Amino acid sequence: MVEGSKSSITDKLINNQVSNRKIIHIDMDAFFASVEQRDFSELQGKPVIVGGPPHSRGVVAACSYEARKFGIHSAMPSSHAYRLCPDAIFVTPRFEAYREASAIIREIFYSYTTLVEPPSLDEAYLDVSHCSKHNGSATLIAKAIKTKIQQHTGLTASAGISYNKFLAKIASDINKPNGFYLITPEQGKTFIENLPIRKFHGIGKATETKMAKLGIHNGKDLKKVSLQCLKENFGKAGLYYYHIAQGIDPRPVKTNRPKKSIGIETTFQQDLSGSAVILKQLQILLKNALEKTAAKRLSPRTLTIKIKYQNFQQITRSRTLTSPIQHGKAANYLLKELITTTDVNHRKVRLLGVTLSSLEKHSNYHQLDLFDSIS
Amino acid sequence: MKFIINREKILSPLQQIVNVIEKRQTMAIMANVFLQLDDHQLILTGSDLEIQVTVILPVDSTGIASTTIPASKFLDICRLLPSNADIKFQIEETKVIISSGRSRFSLSTLSPETYPGFSETEPKYQFSIPSKQLKEALSKTTFCMANQDFRYYLNGLLMNISNSTLKLVASDGHRMALFQDEINQDTGISNKIIIPRKGIQELYRILDLTENDVTIHVCKNNIKVIADNVIFFAKLIDAKYPNFQQILQQAFLDPIPVQKQNLKEALTRVVILSNEKSKGVTLDFDVEQIMLTAFNSEHEEAEEKVAIEFSGEPMTISFNGQYLIDALSNLDSDIVFLIISKDLSCCFVEESTQAPYQYIVMPMTL
Repeated sequence: MVEGSKSSITDKLINNQVSNRKIIHIDMDAFFASVEQRDFSELQGKPVIVGGPPHSRGVVAACSYEARKFGIHSAMPSSHAYRLCPDAIFVTPRFEAYREASAIIREIFYSYTTLVEPPSLDEAYLDVSHCSKHNGSATLIAKAIKTKIQQHTGLTASAGISYNKFLAKIASDINKPNGFYLITPEQGKTFIENLPIRKFHGIGKATETKMAKLGIHNGKDLKKVSLQCLKENFGKAGLYYYHIAQGIDPRPVKTNRPKKSIGIETTFQQDLSGSAVILKQLQILLKNALEKTAAKRLSPRTLTIKIKYQNFQQITRSRTLTSPIQHGKAANYLLKELITTTDVNHRKVRLLGVTLSSLEKHSNYHQLDLFDSIS
Repeated sequence: MKFIINREKILSPLQQIVNVIEKRQTMAIMANVFLQLDDHQLILTGSDLEIQVTVILPVDSTGIASTTIPASKFLDICRLLPSNADIKFQIEETKVIISSGRSRFSLSTLSPETYPGFSETEPKYQFSIPSKQLKEALSKTTFCMANQDFRYYLNGLLMNISNSTLKLVASDGHRMALFQDEINQDTGISNKIIIPRKGIQELYRILDLTENDVTIHVCKNNIKVIADNVIFFAKLIDAKYPNFQQILQQAFLDPIPVQKQNLKEALTRVVILSNEKSKGVTLDFDVEQIMLTAFNSEHEEAEEKVAIEFSGEPMTISFNGQYLIDALSNLDSDIVFLIISKDLSCCFVEESTQAPYQYIVMPMTL
C-alpha cells in the first residue's frame, strides 16, 4: 500500500507517538564464548565452541569469532560444527559464570534507566528517551555503557541506537564485534528499504522463502505489498511486517515480561522407544515443570508435549483443562491421553519436551476434591 | 415428491435437530438433516454420531422419499420466512426445492444411503416419567456436571435405576448433586448408566416441547427417550462412575439450620471481594452466628454475619462461595441444613431428610 492511502493516517499517529523515542540495543559479543576466553587464557585467539561435546547430540550454544570464520554458528549441531572445524575447542557451558556477568551488565543498564528489557542473558533493550545523563544523548549513553561493560566484566558489547526496537536491534548487528551504530529517524526509511529480507529480525528461513515467492527480497519490495496481502499470507505477523516496512515499530520496551509458559525439554543420548519408557520420561519432565511453576506461584491449565522422532520430525500435542494441572494421578493421566494420539508406540524418539501454559496466579485457597478422598 | 408444511410446525423441532449437529464437520453428510417422507409423515433427523434427534411431523402427502440437505441453511430459510407461511418442499434427484410465497430456494442434497443413523438395539429395560419431573430433576443436578474433565466419566450424569427408584448424580469433584425420587412403576432392575454432558443438555431442551410422560429405553450402549413425536438417542459413556458411598457414610456433626435467603444474600455480597478464580469464602461458626469472610489479592476484604441457631463447638471451614450459592439457589425451602462432616472434610447442603435433592460441597483449605 502506498503512502497517502487511508491507513496512513493511523500510521502517522503511531509514528508521531513513538518515533521520537531513543532506544538502545546492547548485544554482548559472542557472550558465552567470550566469558570462557576471558576466564581461560589458553582459549584466547582460538576457535571456541560452548555447547554439547562434538560427538554428542548437543548443539552449539555460542562460539567465538575465531570459530565463526569456519561457518559455525549457534544452534548448529555440535557434530556438524566439529566437521567444519575439527580443531575447535569444545567447552561445556558454565551458566553460573554467564549469569554472573549478565547481572553485572544489567546493573550498569539500570544506572541509566529502569526501562530495561533483557530478552536473554546477553542482550537488552533500553529506552533512554527520558534519561538525563550525558545531556540525554543516546549516543553518549550507549558509548558510556559499552566502556563500563568492558571495565566491569572485561567483555565487549555492540550497541545499536534508533527510534524503535526493530531498528536498534539491526543497528547493534552492523559493526559487530565491539560495534556501534546509529540509525536516525531520517535514515530509518531508506535503511529499511535497502535491508535484505533475511536481515529483518523475526523473519526466519521459512518466511524468507515465502516472501521470495511473493517477489519480496528487501525492505523496498516489502513496502510495496498491501496490508491485506501480508495479512493473507502471514496472518497476525502481516501487520507487524507492514509497519516494519515503513519503519514503524511501536512495541514498547517491556521491563518485566510476565512468563507466558514454562517448558523443559531433553534430547536423549540414545533414542527412546516404547510408550512406557517415553511416558516415564515425560512424567519426570512434567514433575520438574510443575515444580518450576509452583516455585513461581503459578498454576498452569494447559499442558503441551513435544516429541521429536528419530527422523527429526517434530510434533506437539496439547490439552487445556478448566482447573489447574496438579502433580499426581491427574497429570499422569493427561500425559497418557496425549501420547495416545502420537506414534510413540512404533517410532523412536530423540527429544521430549513438556510446556505448561495458561498460567494463573496461585490462589491461597486449595479446593478439595470429592474423589481424591475416596481410596 | 412434494409436501407442504406450516412454518410454525417445523421451526422449533428443526431448531432442536440443528442444535445437535456439529457446525464444524469433517464428514459432509453429518452437517445435513436427514429427511424422510413416509406416507403422511415427515421424519427429520440430525446427529453428531454421539447424539441423534428425530422428529416426526404429519404432512398431507402420500409418497415415500428420502434425502439429506444442509442443516443450517435449511433452518435459516425456515426461520427467515414470514410467520405462518406455508412452506412447499419438492424432493428431486439431486436437489430439494423449497418455496413459499414469492421465495424459492434450491438446496443441494447428499445421498441418504450413507447417512449413519443409530442402530436400534433391544432395550434392556424401559420406564416412563412425567416430562416435568424429569426436567426438574435435570435442572437441579446437571449444573454440577464436570466440563472437559480428564476423568471423562464426570463429564456426564449418572442415572441409577433401582426397581422403582430413580437416582441422578452429577459431580465435577468439587461439588455433587444427588437426586432421588420414585417413578411409580416397578422396573425390576438395578442398573447404572452415564449419559454424556451434551446429551443431557439436548435432552433438557427437548423436554420443553412436551407436557406428557416421556418413555426412556436403556439399551446396551445407548439411551433412547421418546417425548411425543421426538425421539432422542445418546451414546452412553462406557465407564464406571466412582463409588462415592464412603462420603455418605462418615460421621457428621448435628445439622445446622440456616435461613436460606439470609445466607445466600450474605454470600453473594462477600464473594465480590473473594479471589476471582477460587471464590474462597471462610465460614466461622460460633454461638448463634456464622461469620463469612473473603479477601482477594488486592488485599480487599469483606465480612458478613448471619444469625443461626448453633450451639456446637466453634469451627472454621472454607468453601468456593459460588458453589454454596449454586446449591442454595437450587433448594426450595426457606430453611436449609448444613451438615458438616466431623473432620470438616465435606458439607451437605439440603432441605430436610425427605427432600429428593441434596448437594455436597467440598471445602477449600487455606
